[in-house]
Amino acid sequence: MFEGGRDVVDQIVARLRRPVRIDPSLDARVMERIAALATPRRASSLAAAWRWLTEPRHVALSPLGGLAVAAGLVALALLFPTLARRPSPTIRDLQFVLVAPQATTVSLIGDFNDWDAARTPMRLARGSGAEWTAVVPLSPGRYRYAFLVNGSLWLADPAAPAALDNDYGDGSSVVTVAGS
Amino acid sequence: MGIDNVGTSDAELVRRVRSGDTGAYAALVARYRDRLGRYAVHMLGNREDAEEALQDAFVRGYRSLARCDDPERFGAWLYGILVNRCRTTGARAARRGRLFVRDEAALNGAPLPSSVEQTELDDVVRRALARLAPEYREAFLLKYVEDLEYEEMARLTGLGVSALKMRVKRAREQLQTILREVERV
Repeated sequence: MFEGGRDVVDQIVARLRRPVRIDPSLDARVMERIAALATPRRASSLAAAWRWLTEPRHVALSPLGGLAVAAGLVALALLFPTLARRPSPTIRDLQFVLVAPQATTVSLIGDFNDWDAARTPMRLARGSGAEWTAVVPLSPGRYRYAFLVNGSLWLADPAAPAALDNDYGDGSSVVTVAGS
Repeated sequence: MGIDNVGTSDAELVRRVRSGDTGAYAALVARYRDRLGRYAVHMLGNREDAEEALQDAFVRGYRSLARCDDPERFGAWLYGILVNRCRTTGARAARRGRLFVRDEAALNGAPLPSSVEQTELDDVVRRALARLAPEYREAFLLKYVEDLEYEEMARLTGLGVSALKMRVKRAREQLQTILREVERV
């Protein structure tokens, strides 16, 4: 079967190297499959970006991934009010001053703190002995206010215009904060 | 790798395809159909499987053309895809239980055998190849039939040169043993 004097493997290699003819119709089958491919090969980057933005898609999320997304949303919800409370450039710090040599405590009360004596206690200025101060950030507007001395004595600010529309029946003052 | 180009270069055809001229790919398919087909037929021992692997390789080549870094060597690059497709197809065929199918049509277009003995010889060759382990058959065909250098084979198969040399050596030894047995019968 094999030629003598010649390596049998070399003889079969020679046979295996003969051309093998593949049915030329394979070309058409290949090109049909290529034509059926949905994705064009040379879409412009703009068209590709538009398609990426507009095509609906399903998003698979693992339970762990879902928790991470939920935690992110909660963090945003907590962060947003904090950001909203940050003073804007139009808010101004106003210093209120009352000279009261006999006072032991003084509180600033007004529209800006719901007339709550506990929210804005005034401090005795160091070295003055009688000057009580408080600094309140206020946005532009008109505010009524007064001082509460020793927890019971209601005093309007003697250095400010009196408010005529005092709901509480006692004397109060008015301050207007201008816009920027 | 023993693949020569005539007419328009591979690089030019690849450039045209990348520019949107899908028809240029048909020229590449026609150019490499028989050359790659020979490897697939011998590797899989079955024309139907070989054509399936070949088709898949061409389609995958088209879809991955952007990753063909050296269009001048499109043929070598496509060879790598075909080698992988043959591995997949061969493994699937083995799972189906197909060990070897005599494929007379594999010799279509080849010179007609001069005698009954020549036909028997072709049959012996195919059966001997089929008895090799797929990894040995792959290395043997790439080295001796497709005439590739070991460095090229390493690029195509992802194997080291030493491992490939060992596989080729074992394949050759096993073939000699098988063919001597046939001669004694």
